[in-house]
Amino acid sequence: MSFDLIKANLNLYAILKNLEDLVVYDAETKEAARDWAVSVQFSVKGGPKAYVAFRDGKCEVGRGKCSRPSARLYFVSPRHLNKMFEGQANPIPLKGLTKLRFLTRDFPKATEKLEYYLKPTAELLNDPSYMALNTRFTLTTAAYALRELFEYDPIGRLNATHIANGTVMLKVLPSGPSAHLKFEDGKISVHKGDTKDPTALMTFKNLEVANALLNGKSDAFAAVASGDVAMKGRVPAIEAINIVLDRIPLYLS
Amino acid sequence: MRTYNYEKSQGWFKRAAEVLPCGIPGHMSPVVNIPVSDYPLFTERAQGSKFWDVDGNEFIDYMCAYGPMILGYGHPAVDKAALDQYKVANCTTGPTTLMVELAEYLVETVPIARWAFFAKNGGDITTYSTMIARKATGRRKIVAIKGGYHGVAPWMQSPGHPGTVGEDHTNVIRIGWNDFDAFERVVAENDGDVAGFIATPYHVPVFQDNALPENGYWEKVERLCKKKGIVLIVDDIRHGFRLNLGGSNEYFGFKPDLICFCKALANGYTISALVGTGELKNEAAKVFYTGSYWYQAAPMAAALACLKELNRINAPKIMLAQGEKLLTGLTASAKSHGFDLKVTGSPSMPYLRITNDESQMLHQEWCGECTKRGAFFASHHNWFMSTAHSDNDIEKTLEIADEAFGVLKRRHG
Repeated sequence: MSFDLIKANLNLYAILKNLEDLVVYDAETKEAARDWAVSVQFSVKGGPKAYVAFRDGKCEVGRGKCSRPSARLYFVSPRHLNKMFEGQANPIPLKGLTKLRFLTRDFPKATEKLEYYLKPTAELLNDPSYMALNTRFTLTTAAYALRELFEYDPIGRLNATHIANGTVMLKVLPSGPSAHLKFEDGKISVHKGDTKDPTALMTFKNLEVANALLNGKSDAFAAVASGDVAMKGRVPAIEAINIVLDRIPLYLS
Repeated sequence: MRTYNYEKSQGWFKRAAEVLPCGIPGHMSPVVNIPVSDYPLFTERAQGSKFWDVDGNEFIDYMCAYGPMILGYGHPAVDKAALDQYKVANCTTGPTTLMVELAEYLVETVPIARWAFFAKNGGDITTYSTMIARKATGRRKIVAIKGGYHGVAPWMQSPGHPGTVGEDHTNVIRIGWNDFDAFERVVAENDGDVAGFIATPYHVPVFQDNALPENGYWEKVERLCKKKGIVLIVDDIRHGFRLNLGGSNEYFGFKPDLICFCKALANGYTISALVGTGELKNEAAKVFYTGSYWYQAAPMAAALACLKELNRINAPKIMLAQGEKLLTGLTASAKSHGFDLKVTGSPSMPYLRITNDESQMLHQEWCGECTKRGAFFASHHNWFMSTAHSDNDIEKTLEIADEAFGVLKRRHG
């Protein structure tokens, strides 16, 4: 799979997934989304498909096709989609001209807000509420990106072979956010939140520790040895995850 | 029973993390000791079967420095030989005659050996062994075992590990342990291109049960290697001298072409050795391979003294017997608390796992509880017995283990 195709998968399946939490945790987007009843289908020629559906103040981002989307955005290639995520291209709207206001004003505003939370500066991270959301979104992005990389990235595929069936949970203490990846006979699914019986667990002592590690600012081994990060259970799965986490910036930096 | 705290260890670790990648890098990294808070991080001194950390806590050591310590820390005969030699000559222009004496002793001790070559680490000689195999056969491929560990050079690491590239593994074919059919298949698929087969005497992966060779496995491998002209290499770095002083292949009844020794060879002094059959001596001579410190005389003096002492006391017999005592006691203690403690591997280097919990969290917890009471148990790796582990050590260890099982029982029901 090409670099652009993997990157497109990460953009659609990992980055966009955060819209679900943006309408929950960001007051401005929450307020704006209260009355949205729109579903947008993203289709990439030779690439991934995903949809974003807003209804009753909630958002769902899913893989594949959405039945009867109110708008459809088409991309001629994975690179075209990636360019849009970088603000350098526009999609081709195939359907949804009646939702023009949403597509040209509301939706871009939400994605800009998402970008704001995903591109921290040292100054922004001094704000505890910003830091909490940046950590949440970064964790979600990492978890969903891992699935794609284990499936398609050459290094990820090699490391996936080291992981036995089971569930690996990543959790920020004391009360989240968290995400877990379920490995079952070569298939990987990702979920936000806790799981009751993980076979491997990686916990971060607090938001600050999680933020530094997930943003690549601290040494994971030293963090584990100092107790800031704890691992238990099937450690080879966590080791494989850590190796593949390092691959994310190659695509999304 | 008192449990330990590691305040000074943690303080030193903070300093270490500032100036060393990972704080403590490599296989000594504390990240595999779970929970890290139950384990010491820095050692202050060691004697016999024990070591003391920087907080003054005493541990009966079942990792033995990950294998090198076989006669006990600070063994008088070995240390005297090394220290005496340090006073005379160590790293010099031209090797000392100790190199010849040590090679002669290895040739006398190891039945397949007609020559020996010395380096520093295990990885030095596993790589050298594959180079000799390639030189001798004019072929490219090395067959190794999935999950087998032969050092840290790029070809030895798992594909996909940081710092390696795909090409590092181009000529390495990994197959499952005990899977002779797979070996036969890859030899057929790469007919005329397999230079060597490298494996440990039995399989010792981390975080997994260890696995002895199935009946007839090594005989079949040896036969196919001979038939196809493939160099059979035993990586005896971890197992060496804990099963049989003539090489672990003698314990399992087969004859390799090359054997790699390190760890227990000199009871902690820096030396590794490759020994081989007469047929490969000239081939080894043609592969240029060397290092600045590979001729150091003091580690050679230590190795000679260590081998003589291992021979004198029949060390494998002692370690196998002491291991058996320990494991019988531990499994009985586990059972009395309602736990199933599974033992795999050899009694002189066993791997243990509480099977009541497949995630290994319970086992990690038990090892941690034992360690903070003074029996250093790793949960991810096989343990090592030494000849210094006394009956008193084992008795004390069993008391610790029993209390730790009790803690688990109360905590988890």
